[in-house]
Amino acid sequence: MSKQLRLSRRNFLKVGSGLLASAFTSRLLPKTLGHSGEVALASSMMSSAEDPDIHLIGTDGWIYLPGQVPIPGTIDQYYNPDPWAPEGLTTYMFGFANVTGLTDSQIKARKMKAQASAPLFWVDENQEYFVRLGNIGLQMRPDLFDSHTLHWHGFRNAWPVFDGEPHSSLAVPMGESMALYYKPYDPGTYMYHCHFEETEHVHMGMTGAVFVRPAQNGNTGLYPSGKFVYNDGDGSTGYDREFVINLTDVWAEAHWDDAHIQLPDWTSFRADYFLMNGRVYPDTVAPNGGLLDANGDLIPPAGHPELQYQPISSLIQCNAGERVLLRFINLTFANQAMSTPGLKMKVVGKDATLLRGRDGTSLFYDTNSVFYGAGQTIDAIFTAPDVTVPTKYMLYNRNLNRLYNPGVPGLGGQATEIWVHPSGSIPAQTAPNT
Amino acid sequence: MSSSKYKRILSFLVLVLVLSLVGAPLQVGRTATEDHTGIPSTGIVCTTNASSTFTLSANSGYINMTDGNKIFAWSFAEGEDDFQFPGPVLCVNQGDTVTVVLHNHLPQDVSIVFPGQANVLANGVPAQPQFSGSELVSLTNAATANGGSITYSFIAEEPGTFLYQSGTNPGIQVQMGLFGALVVRPAMGLNYAYNRADSQFNPDAEYILMLSEIDPLLHQAIERGETFDLNNYHARYFLINGRSFPDTIAPNGASWLPTQPYGSLAHIYPQDASNPLPALSRYIGVGVENYPFHPHAFNGRVIARDGRPLEGPAGEDLSYEKFSINIGPGQTTDSLFAWEDNYGWQESTTPIPVTLPNQQNLTFGPFWGSAYLGTTEDLPTGHASFNQCGEFYHIAHNHALQQITGWGVVLIGQVTFTRIDPPLPNNCP
Repeated sequence: MSKQLRLSRRNFLKVGSGLLASAFTSRLLPKTLGHSGEVALASSMMSSAEDPDIHLIGTDGWIYLPGQVPIPGTIDQYYNPDPWAPEGLTTYMFGFANVTGLTDSQIKARKMKAQASAPLFWVDENQEYFVRLGNIGLQMRPDLFDSHTLHWHGFRNAWPVFDGEPHSSLAVPMGESMALYYKPYDPGTYMYHCHFEETEHVHMGMTGAVFVRPAQNGNTGLYPSGKFVYNDGDGSTGYDREFVINLTDVWAEAHWDDAHIQLPDWTSFRADYFLMNGRVYPDTVAPNGGLLDANGDLIPPAGHPELQYQPISSLIQCNAGERVLLRFINLTFANQAMSTPGLKMKVVGKDATLLRGRDGTSLFYDTNSVFYGAGQTIDAIFTAPDVTVPTKYMLYNRNLNRLYNPGVPGLGGQATEIWVHPSGSIPAQTAPNT
Repeated sequence: MSSSKYKRILSFLVLVLVLSLVGAPLQVGRTATEDHTGIPSTGIVCTTNASSTFTLSANSGYINMTDGNKIFAWSFAEGEDDFQFPGPVLCVNQGDTVTVVLHNHLPQDVSIVFPGQANVLANGVPAQPQFSGSELVSLTNAATANGGSITYSFIAEEPGTFLYQSGTNPGIQVQMGLFGALVVRPAMGLNYAYNRADSQFNPDAEYILMLSEIDPLLHQAIERGETFDLNNYHARYFLINGRSFPDTIAPNGASWLPTQPYGSLAHIYPQDASNPLPALSRYIGVGVENYPFHPHAFNGRVIARDGRPLEGPAGEDLSYEKFSINIGPGQTTDSLFAWEDNYGWQESTTPIPVTLPNQQNLTFGPFWGSAYLGTTEDLPTGHASFNQCGEFYHIAHNHALQQITGWGVVLIGQVTFTRIDPPLPNNCP
């Protein structure tokens, strides 16, 4: 069962740290050379538990968040930047890393080099998909022996063995790994996260996006791109470009606590930073990173060494007239209100479900903002305005107190830019968030 | 992190599960039993009355949090029964004239508002907000402190899930526990949530989840007869049906929770030809926060909000699926759900497509039986498993994850579970 031959789009797109890049596959290269870690052409028409579609590990790490969060009652002491952070970085975190195709020594070298947010991956409807999940430990916290899991949040009819909730399921102790299997039947936007010590591990950054492409994809008769959010039957969810907007937040005290062997009272939770795909504005519009060097470590985005472990860009670029899909995910601990005042969004799906009643009644609606709670997803499509010169729009959190970075002038937080170019200016999109 | 706390909670789990699943005799709270002999260990516990006439007494007592703290609380009990928290789940039929007689034993005036019900009468005249001069002192007519009584009545015109709650000093009193649920059964029948064929559910799998919160300092101030400034309000405990996890999954009427009779463990079977109907969860947001509630492994189909079916003017179905249902303050949401065996994996014939690591290289959950529905495997020595017959468990929890903790202790907040048994006949006790 695990070695059957299949020709699927999955094999065409093997996703790494959230982006694309190379036409090479890791399997065609000597593994000691490292690999792109990104989208690779199919080298093999099979996958299995031993040869998974994606190999993720859980570990700790450090990221960069601008500004300062002082420790109350102290002088010149800060939760953020953490004084123990490596040079150029500020904030301790837990996270996943994509080590697909890396050697054992390269994988071990990723200890304390996780990324925020987690590697993005997607699966075709009815496709068999194998994930290997490893746990290489928390280098800053040798006192801890936390296991890790991968919970595919929202997966219908999940079996506990692959659900990753540690009461009902299995978890991966430090130094070990296990294979996970998914065959999703329901297209749409989901998220994944570690469920072990979930309040802490989710908040510390073990969160990412996963989505399922519908069987209808490829039907260019319904929409020219042949790309759809759901099996709509009428092309109403067709789109040209897609962008994941994964929202998380950072309570600087809790992150500092974890680095300094302290415990927060989570009911005192109060976020200081509001992140989009692991970064705060204006870093959200910096380029994608995600390529790997010869050691298997992440190569920083061009011009942004501080964003080495935050590889996913939220910059949205499109041509006039194109339909742009925004896959909104909320892994903060609160409701968020993402707003685009200059653009009209059509909400076509929620929580990986086409918005239709059981009798087919459409529940689509047009809006300038999507208000959605923790653990929820929204699929919204806007049509890029018919501009003749490059034009910028903003996508930002209308919870306006979440539009700042502490101690930093100007706007920040959960915001990004949408650059609409005149028709035909930029080539077709080859991977999400590019 | 905080593995010691985690273990501490797990030790609670040992107690709870051993007592609950292995069938300790049900010595249930009086309200939950006396009028309802043979209540099931899971599922909604309805308080009913042939003439839909209920007597509620407002009184005080204590509830237990699973971190060991005891909280002073106020609530409604049926008749002059012992204190219970929250108030009873009143179930009536559409069209009934519902009468609620309130006796107030508390040191403050207490009233009841019935959101979603029209033309409520208080002592036979239309219930009205109460003013003292120009000052609003109650959202409706109240029973006076220390022994007063009042009678409310209304016709339950619309089926659905509703809240009832104090309308007097409500910021304090609802927080103290003066609330409960009202379920109105539709004319179409007991197996329907609304007067729609597509609202049919399995009556053996009907659940209610009252989501509330507690600021222990507020409760302490009231216990001491002090005032509490609501500007200082800060919830620290987050409860389902008045219990914190893992008490949430203990049976209805568990003997060690004498004042907290309502559990919230869902207990279902795979949906198939022999079990075609979905289960029903009735969610009620009691607190002042919104709760994004996330049951693992199934999308709920949201069929109604605030006791009104989601339908168009011509009866169009406007329901939708959600894997995280956001329930606002005072809102109710009805959700149909089911778990379907899509994969059909069986150990001997169609094994899962991966080889699991050796047992010593895994961390096992306390509910783990095996990878397979209906099968238990031998687990490493020393691993305590509460799994009885290879049943599956899936967590259901608030995804504002600070609210699944409580006052510094992880995993004692709004968490409950769904238990999925193998199809009948099975080997489950």
